[in-house]
Amino acid sequence: MAAVKETIDTVAALEKYEHGFTTDIDQEFAPKGLSEDIVRFISAKKDEPEWMLEWRLEAYRRWLELEEPDWAKVSYPKIDYQDTYYYAAPKTKEGPKSLDEVDPELLAVYEKLGIPLKEQAVLAGVEGAPRYAVDAVFDSVSVVTTFKKELAQAGVIFCSMSEAIREHPELVRQYLGSVVPTSDNYFACLNSAVFSDGSFVYVPPGVRCPMELSTYFRINAKDSGQFERTLIIADKGAYVSYLEGCTAPMRDENQLHAAVVELVLLDDAEIKYSTVQNWYPGDPETGKGGIYNFVTKRADCRGDRSKVSWTQVETGSAITWKYPSCVLRGEGSSGEFYSIAVTNGHQQADTGTKMIHLGANTKSRIVAKGISAGKSTSTYRGLVSAHPKAKGARNFTQCDSLLIGKTCAAHTVPYIEARNGQSVFEHEATTTRLSDDQLFYCQQRGLSQEEAVALLVNGFVRDVLQQLPMEFAVEAQKLVAISLEGSVG
Amino acid sequence: MLSINNLHARVEDKPILKGVTLEVPAGEVHAIMGPNGAGKSTLSYVLSGRGGYEVTEGSASLNGEDLLELEPNERAAKGVFLSFQYPLEIPGVPALTFIRTAVNAQRRARGEDEIAAPAFLKLAKEKAASLKIDFEMLKRGLNVGFSGGEKKRMEIFQMAMLSPKFLILDETDSGLDIDALKIVSEGVNALRSPERGMLVITHYQRLLDYIKPDRVHVLAAGRIVASGGPELALQLEAEGYDKYVGAAA
Amino acid sequence: MSLSSVLEGSDLPSRRHEDWRWTDLRGLIRIVPPVSPVFFDVIKSAGPFAGQADAELIIANGRQNWWPGEDTKTVEFFEHDAPDNPYDRASLPMAAIAADNAIEPRASIIQFNGDDAASIRFVSATDGTSHHARLGVVVKAGVSAVLLESHEGRGDRYLANTLIEIFLEEGAKLERIVLADDAAEAVAVTTAVVKIAAGATFNQTVLTSGARRQRIETHVAHPGAHAQVRLDGIYLLNAQRHADQTTVVTHGGVDGVTSQLTKGMVADQARGVFQGRIIVAEGADQTDARMGHHALILSDKAEVDAKPELLIFADDVSCAHGNTIGALDEEAVFYARQRGIPELEARAMLTQAFVGEVVERIEHDGARQIAEAWVAKQLGREE
Repeated sequence: MAAVKETIDTVAALEKYEHGFTTDIDQEFAPKGLSEDIVRFISAKKDEPEWMLEWRLEAYRRWLELEEPDWAKVSYPKIDYQDTYYYAAPKTKEGPKSLDEVDPELLAVYEKLGIPLKEQAVLAGVEGAPRYAVDAVFDSVSVVTTFKKELAQAGVIFCSMSEAIREHPELVRQYLGSVVPTSDNYFACLNSAVFSDGSFVYVPPGVRCPMELSTYFRINAKDSGQFERTLIIADKGAYVSYLEGCTAPMRDENQLHAAVVELVLLDDAEIKYSTVQNWYPGDPETGKGGIYNFVTKRADCRGDRSKVSWTQVETGSAITWKYPSCVLRGEGSSGEFYSIAVTNGHQQADTGTKMIHLGANTKSRIVAKGISAGKSTSTYRGLVSAHPKAKGARNFTQCDSLLIGKTCAAHTVPYIEARNGQSVFEHEATTTRLSDDQLFYCQQRGLSQEEAVALLVNGFVRDVLQQLPMEFAVEAQKLVAISLEGSVG
Repeated sequence: MLSINNLHARVEDKPILKGVTLEVPAGEVHAIMGPNGAGKSTLSYVLSGRGGYEVTEGSASLNGEDLLELEPNERAAKGVFLSFQYPLEIPGVPALTFIRTAVNAQRRARGEDEIAAPAFLKLAKEKAASLKIDFEMLKRGLNVGFSGGEKKRMEIFQMAMLSPKFLILDETDSGLDIDALKIVSEGVNALRSPERGMLVITHYQRLLDYIKPDRVHVLAAGRIVASGGPELALQLEAEGYDKYVGAAA
Repeated sequence: MSLSSVLEGSDLPSRRHEDWRWTDLRGLIRIVPPVSPVFFDVIKSAGPFAGQADAELIIANGRQNWWPGEDTKTVEFFEHDAPDNPYDRASLPMAAIAADNAIEPRASIIQFNGDDAASIRFVSATDGTSHHARLGVVVKAGVSAVLLESHEGRGDRYLANTLIEIFLEEGAKLERIVLADDAAEAVAVTTAVVKIAAGATFNQTVLTSGARRQRIETHVAHPGAHAQVRLDGIYLLNAQRHADQTTVVTHGGVDGVTSQLTKGMVADQARGVFQGRIIVAEGADQTDARMGHHALILSDKAEVDAKPELLIFADDVSCAHGNTIGALDEEAVFYARQRGIPELEARAMLTQAFVGEVVERIEHDGARQIAEAWVAKQLGREE
């Protein structure tokens, strides 16, 4: 594709990670390295009760016995777990924070990122426009959560995980680790020991959460790891839509992000979980730096007829290792996974989902779109399984890969396990390149090459973008285009 | 011939037929008309024994033999033929193979000898020609890649080959253009005989211009709400089903 | 004869080995059975491909048992008593074990010098013992050959491990038909390593009824260069039988075609495994690769596991795979029954039609008819 080569040359200079700035904020750190003392330090910093400390220590001891997994199609130098800060927090006043008390520097960061933290600013917007309540996590801690009062009136709890441990210990003790056990995998275990903060959501029975909830994660500090923990519980008949966004500064060193997200769904509950992940991907030329995004996300559809939907747009990180999963336990429960993974430069993404059908008449749907450019590798890895009791289980999977350029790779590695005679599984996968003919056709009708590529790529990912809330979809569409800048457009 | 008495049936927990009573004597053609959702297709499936339909009350018999206790293939061997609204495509099974398997299975079930290949082929050629079916089409997978009209013609062809005692035509006119409709109707009319009964299920009167019924019944909300001669069909065409939908509700 | 090492159960691949996750041998065989005895008798009964080829080689209990003596003009036969072992135990464990442990001659070689068919029969007439065999197949440039390969279980509880190495020279063509009828309690692994030159065609159809554990694995090094590969399979399994069809096709150069279609049916407590991997190396542009695996599960205790993989390192390619697993279409079953066909017959007929698409792709007329009859017999539909 000569035309594409040309574009590579002409737009190479345009490539830019627009969230790569750092912020000089007065921060405090725990000493580098990991030990029981560091775990105690983190727990003490957060004023945690004894049971929480014990839970963390137990996880730490188990982590020591585990080995780092190596089955994913990603390669990276061995991580030195003793050369990382496990706790970094902006220095702020003690006690509960109101928006007025938040460091203005910090507010400026979020403004620059386009995250609405000022409630009135949002309220002043167009009448009827959807509103978002935001939990902002800066390095290890939650700096502010908006709209808490209004949510509380509806009975919805939306706060930082640290606060939830203090204020709602009964809920946290009941559900934390019940979806992703501490020893589930190497990174989840590490997270259980050292997680710093994250978001907590509880939606009581029959309540439809009155607004979209979102968490905005920002890694700022150098050499630090971020280990957030999110727990969302949708009680019987509850509904909540939750969005998360992630960015980090450009740094030459790799930084570890090992998050755990647990979703619990009781009878007839529904959770829609959307992610736009744009961590710093590393230098596109040299591959230096970038975030290692090793994340465990799982939804447990315990209740009958419960429904969970994961939508992810993954454009950032040097390495992504992430399989948002659905355990379809409740009868008639359903799981969906919609994914766009864009890799460019030297990025590596190994991502997909697991649909574990345990209950009768459970349904799942997977639509995964991978786009690889530059010297990157994008792998879809997924498991669909039906237990002997999951009679009437249905799955439909569509995995499509689009390759742009001669030096990238796209892999599709599905695992399908059917263990009863009344299930129907369908899986389709294709790998194609951006067609010269299509590009030419668009150009002949007057589109520039960049517009043509954007148009074709948008068409390719359309099924997934449609699953995102409107504002996020527009954002994600731009992000996909920006991520591919320098490869074709 | 066919006797249906106070037949009730449901799908899952939803009652569809709520007391259908109907007599179709040998040699007669009865039409069942009715609005969408009245239970017309359910009636044809219950009579032919498709899974998923539970009979909760009532009876249905052919020449005094209870149909409802029999397996679908046993009913077929007794002579019940259902022409499907949407005939299935069966890739890999040539139409001729399929029909020969069916003819022989029915013969065995009735304690008759299987038909010999030459006799079968001769019969198939004759019937195909009368229905203007290209014989080569019969060597391809059953209904695979056939148009709507071709599929319906293939149903009539099977009907001719199996020579059933009682025919149920489920919306046979759907998806047919006028030429196909004529051919199909001619095929059906050729099977009219003093020994054979027919139940013609249709939403529109059009089909009845070609297959003249002796009686017309209106099925609405799971019950026969009106019966009459062929003129009833014309009246329905002019007035619609509104008054019956109201009456049944 | 020399065994280069004593084989132990722990040498066998286990479920911890990613490529053997669904076909665990180590968990089943703790102690490798002793070496199978020599089978002196000439195999009198005919194999499944009887009458289809003049050249016939029989390997019984891992040892060469019968060769018609003189080579025909088109098919030559050699022995090789000191072949090397290029296989590493991490990636191809059973092939490496076969190469290390093959009984004498350490390798038998069939060479096609002209267009012809040859039948090769691997007979396991033993109970509770193990044997390893190694066969080489060479098809000279421009020659069109047919290899009719049968695996015949005449004893039980044996461990049979076969390594077949196939070389197609430029423009050569080979159609390999494998018919595996192993004993119910046997463990049988057949690994074929296929290297093809530019413009060559390799077509394969595997038909199997499984065993206690059975794996038929094919690795093809595809040079691109207008070479064509077809890899098909049918598995029809009942009782507690297990069959694993694993394929790896590596496209190393531009302009290659691969087409794969595997269909299977599992009943009772049987387990079918399909692992298909297509690798398109960097620079192997204009590759066209399609893979399909479709299975029917007829019982709630049966299982099908599938892993259709595409690993693509080139952009100008067209690759696709499709996988479906489910029950027979109940609508079609009802339709057939409405026409008077009893349920069991209807199901068998539809299953036969389902796998018939794969049989149709066999080019050799005799082999296709034998495959058709074999499918009918497996489904209890003998005419």
